[in-house]
Amino acid sequence: MKQQWVYGIGAAVLGTPVLVGIALSPVWSQTEPLIESETPLEEAVPAYSIRVTSALDGDPVADEQLTLREALKLANGTLPLDALSPAEQALVEPLTDGAGSEISFELPEGETTIELVDLLPEVVVPNLVIDGTTQAGYDAEAMIDPRFPPAPVVTLTVAPGQEVARGLSIAADGVVVRGLSIYGFRTTDRATQTTPPSDIFISALAPPVDASPLTPPLPMFRLSRQDTVPQGVVVEQNWLGLPPSDEFPEVPSAFGVTVFNSTDAVIRNNRIEHHDGSAIISGFQANGLQISENAIVGNGLAGMPDAIRLEGTIAGSAITDNLICGNDGSGIYLFKPEGASQITGNTIQYNGRRFFRSAVYVMGSDHQINDNFIGFQPGPGVVVAAHPDSDRNLIRQNRFAQLDGLSIDLVTQGNAGVQDFQRGDGPNPPRNSHNRRQETGNGAINAPRFDSYRFTGTGDTVTVTGRADPGSEVDLYLVVEDDRPYGPLAEVITTVSAGDDGRFSADLEVPPGSHLSAIASDPSYGTSEPAPVAAVLDADGSLPVLPPPAVEIPSCAPPEPPEIVVDPEPEPLVLEVPRNIHFALDRSDISAESAEILDQIAEVMLEFPFLTLELHGHTDPRASAAYNLALSERRANAARNYLIAQGVPPERMQIVPFGLTQRLSDESSRLAYARDRRVEFVFTDLRGVDIIFVDQEDDLQLE
Amino acid sequence: MRRIYRKRPKKRPVYLGVLFFLSLVLSYGLSFWGQPPSPVYSQALIENQASAEVGPPGDRQVIPSNPTQIAPAPGVLPPGVEEPRLEIVKTADRAAAEPGDVAIYRLLVTNVSNQVADPVTITDQLPQGLIYVPDSVRSEPQQPTDINLTDSTLTLTFGALGPNESISVVYGVLMTPDAVRGDGRNIAQASAPGFETVTAVYQMTIRPGIVADCGTLVGRVFVDRNFDGQQQPGEPGVPNAVVFMDDGNRILTDPDGLFSVINVLPGYRVGTLDLYSLPGYTLAPNLYRIEENSVSRLVRLSPGGLARMNFAVTPTFGEEQP
Repeated sequence: MKQQWVYGIGAAVLGTPVLVGIALSPVWSQTEPLIESETPLEEAVPAYSIRVTSALDGDPVADEQLTLREALKLANGTLPLDALSPAEQALVEPLTDGAGSEISFELPEGETTIELVDLLPEVVVPNLVIDGTTQAGYDAEAMIDPRFPPAPVVTLTVAPGQEVARGLSIAADGVVVRGLSIYGFRTTDRATQTTPPSDIFISALAPPVDASPLTPPLPMFRLSRQDTVPQGVVVEQNWLGLPPSDEFPEVPSAFGVTVFNSTDAVIRNNRIEHHDGSAIISGFQANGLQISENAIVGNGLAGMPDAIRLEGTIAGSAITDNLICGNDGSGIYLFKPEGASQITGNTIQYNGRRFFRSAVYVMGSDHQINDNFIGFQPGPGVVVAAHPDSDRNLIRQNRFAQLDGLSIDLVTQGNAGVQDFQRGDGPNPPRNSHNRRQETGNGAINAPRFDSYRFTGTGDTVTVTGRADPGSEVDLYLVVEDDRPYGPLAEVITTVSAGDDGRFSADLEVPPGSHLSAIASDPSYGTSEPAPVAAVLDADGSLPVLPPPAVEIPSCAPPEPPEIVVDPEPEPLVLEVPRNIHFALDRSDISAESAEILDQIAEVMLEFPFLTLELHGHTDPRASAAYNLALSERRANAARNYLIAQGVPPERMQIVPFGLTQRLSDESSRLAYARDRRVEFVFTDLRGVDIIFVDQEDDLQLE
Repeated sequence: MRRIYRKRPKKRPVYLGVLFFLSLVLSYGLSFWGQPPSPVYSQALIENQASAEVGPPGDRQVIPSNPTQIAPAPGVLPPGVEEPRLEIVKTADRAAAEPGDVAIYRLLVTNVSNQVADPVTITDQLPQGLIYVPDSVRSEPQQPTDINLTDSTLTLTFGALGPNESISVVYGVLMTPDAVRGDGRNIAQASAPGFETVTAVYQMTIRPGIVADCGTLVGRVFVDRNFDGQQQPGEPGVPNAVVFMDDGNRILTDPDGLFSVINVLPGYRVGTLDLYSLPGYTLAPNLYRIEENSVSRLVRLSPGGLARMNFAVTPTFGEEQP
């Protein structure tokens, strides 16, 4: 285990406190949010639509332009509208529809980086929307993967030489932060430690940064007061911890999003990278926290190493469909939480770069860990702690690969050593006493045991039998890495139930040479550790060697833009293909000449899959319109059916009968009538490019 | 023979086994023969007289020798006379005591001879720091004719004690703080004229008790959410955190983040959190008490006292800072 960090922390603890830094640092104004939020805004604050036009920062000045600080104070109601200059007032429009204020950005091109010199005022007005996607130049179309939002334009960072602990502090319900790049927020060493700095800090009454002598006496925190807890804060489409240039920032941020005290916060579609500490960390309360479709890459570089660390109350929280990759500790670490969390559909790989922890470490009960991919971890996959009591954690339908430990590891016998809280304690012996249930994760549910380490298959099927806890559901897994007795569970094959006697049996269609393992789940206790791997022998008793899984190169990079299937400027298609066929008088059958033309058309349609075809049927003007309409439909239909017979997919063709309505000329010669009796083919290029056509009338049929 | 032996090498362990058995028999016999004859202890005068028969067959004459006597060893009484002997047994109502306790000593003196012991004197030398509780002597069936206390020596005198009679004596002693300086070893002896003096020893463990000068340290390491240095609900303890003390003691917190150390020498004790042991955490700022922002905790541990060292921690960052 690398422990270089301790040098830094030792130095930080023992280092000379830079008192001068404290004196110079804007401590006084750091308490400003507290003072502001202490004066609750009883009367409704008028809502405005505010356009930020200046990237400068500093005290509000009645000048020509609006800064973000002025906009926030205006939205908070701490800066009256009439304190603005007329030019500034022109950038503010009152909103009357009852919605919250909106802050949009019209920064001059090239001046889109807001360098803060001080903490921004805490957002205390509900439903404020801070929308960085309104800035010109934001390319919403550039998103390929929802986990990797397009690069923001508006950047929120710290002025060089300054120290600002937090980017945005949110203390009100329903605030939305969208489309910003926020990085560089941290604190330096000082006489005392500081409260956790972060890019976005969600809490009512955010604590002051430190306890310097200049900080006025504090009222006691009331973290448990529910009426002040911000609800439903949304953080989306931001880049946290990295500038829009996608470079490693000069000053890394401390934490990404600190969900210190909030309910139902939503963190979705963000890129969260390069933080010293966790990307997302909860504090006192994070009930209903939704973390979905984020890319959480390379965090925990010099601090709390886990990518997502949930502590405190987390009832109803969900972590879904995130990419958690290349972080220094666990991907997800639930540290003594209260309440259950759902961890679903995440890709958790290449973590544990600095601390060889498990990919997911779970304390507490009733968590559900389903449908994740967990791999490439220098530790076990999922560890369930023995202390505090952790039961009924269901871990199913996950895929594991390249682990250094068990796929699922239940800490047993009340083990609470250092390693037990980081990488578990390895395979458990079978339960030999009822007391084991008390002192083992997931109620000490026994791992299934196969009756044999080798099963002989017949053909492609093999009958696997074994024993598990009575009444449990046994998920049988394929193991593709067979170098250990406990290979990672690669892929679930099927699920069977263990009978009342604990016996289970499954007929599997797996090729000889496969390796199998299994886990048992019981809703009363949770999911077990995996069974030792059993091999499937060929009918003659031999064990064929299956090809090893493909080697994967470690990568957390955003997906490459897909190879443009269509050229950026597709070449116009030149079709030297006839676009009509002709028919005999009052006939709708395909002549031999017409068939040749249709063959050409079919060839073109099969060659260029982006072409679609409309078949317009026409007649000459003789006979009634209704008759001709039906005749034209018959003609188009005949042509269509011929093309279908040639293999052209019917979904790419459409029949349009025109009857006698669209003659080619007003003449009444036999030649003109012959030209009118036709089916026209209208090609459409789905790429939106015009087609160059060549006309023909080789199959004209005179009467 | 040689060929057969070669062909059957597996027979060899049998021979070895026989040899081993023989050697066992031999050693057993040796040990039996080597046993010294048990000594014969005579309790009385041994007379011996030899005789010789002289003469032809049918007319033999017996000539006795002069009788000889082998006197018993000095000190061995003639038959029917027992040595005057006393037995003394000493116990107490406790094996360990602390200053302030009153311990009850119990003596049983028995005359195991068939002679009368008169008078019987019991002398009890009290250990250092233990003092006799006045008028606490109770005895039966006899009452002491005299009770004399000189310094820490208690002397009890009783009347005649017939053969196979016993005296049971009970008395109390008070542990003073001085007792911790002594060894708690108490020697009682019983004597009577013509009787050999017998002694009994009782060892009582003296604990410092209320005068102990070691104190107890308690404390906890926990994640502080509201930065007040106190652990409230929702602020979990951190397991396996290490606290170093100024005397080099290394304290490990339990799974709940608690620790307790007994037998800590009193005085000013300092403890500091070993941040090595909590990767990802550092000391939390205390927004209410400046003092608790220190990296160490100084406590004044009074003798026998209890002191607390709490460490509040919070998730950290910036460990690479110089």
